[in-house]
Amino acid sequence: MAFPALVQPNPIGDALNHIEWAFPLAECFHIVFFAMAIGTVMIVDLRLLGLAFQKQTPASLARDTWVYTLIGLVVAVLAGMTLFVSDPRMYTHNSSFRFKMTALIVAIIYHYTVHHKVVSSNSSAGVNAVVGAISVLLWSSVVVGGIFIGLI
Amino acid sequence: MSLYSICDSIQSSGLMTHVRETPWVYPIIMSIHVVCIAVFGGMILMTDLRLLGVGLKDKTVAEVVGGLRPFKRIGFVVMVTCGLLMAGTEAPQYYRNPYFWTKMALLVLVGVHAMMFKSTVYDHPEELDKSPVLPTRAKAAAAFSLILWVSLPVFGRLIAYYEPDESKASQTATFVLK
Repeated sequence: MAFPALVQPNPIGDALNHIEWAFPLAECFHIVFFAMAIGTVMIVDLRLLGLAFQKQTPASLARDTWVYTLIGLVVAVLAGMTLFVSDPRMYTHNSSFRFKMTALIVAIIYHYTVHHKVVSSNSSAGVNAVVGAISVLLWSSVVVGGIFIGLI
Repeated sequence: MSLYSICDSIQSSGLMTHVRETPWVYPIIMSIHVVCIAVFGGMILMTDLRLLGVGLKDKTVAEVVGGLRPFKRIGFVVMVTCGLLMAGTEAPQYYRNPYFWTKMALLVLVGVHAMMFKSTVYDHPEELDKSPVLPTRAKAAAAFSLILWVSLPVFGRLIAYYEPDESKASQTATFVLK
């Protein structure tokens, strides 16, 4: 693949591979901020599933959490890109990484289209539950895909 | 019986051998552990931001604390169970790992935090909503909790980076054999 060949030697990657603390530090940012992003999505999903915040509408919960979801996603993705450039060739050939990227793209698109639409409208409890369950499943797949990068 | 030999017996127990050697069991436990960090850790962060008066300001403290509490409890139990299973499979290595012990110390501090703030903050969130500004004790509880819950996954991650000094490791092993 041409793209990873181009990014293989790069200053950020060099730093990550040569400074002892650089890679774990980027990982820590990645973990804390994906927790923030997914945790806030889950608050809305619990409501969609009818498990918590029954007095609140999904829309009002989303209004309070969306900015934290976005900050969490942006930082987690930036930290993730930093990790990626440490060894682009390995990651692009890692099937779990490919699965994670697919799940991530689907999860982001789903979150800002279907999920957003259902959350902001007064949908039935059934529709809410299905949309919430799919969201939980998608975001969990992203995390699990990430774990298996190091295990396969 | 030394702590090291206890660790060794934990590792050799039937359950831990099963977790370590059956295909997929360990990765699945690890996945559950990290998914819980994302889901419930994220909820802890948001509760703390509410107590600090930074996030979720449209909701009362009582709604946020009360609404998320049962889920955070379930998450904590699942996270700790999975964590103990993972540590148990390699107990003697964890015994030598300073990051692991730091993480255990942080978990003790989680208990201290609960004892300090349970009755004054978390059990009576509606009291906090009554005051015009959030009381210092609520902000202190949140700040302490934020520090703990950012440090916990960080030290959890660092456990994997510890490389024991091999000469010292073999010394410990010799000592135990004697």
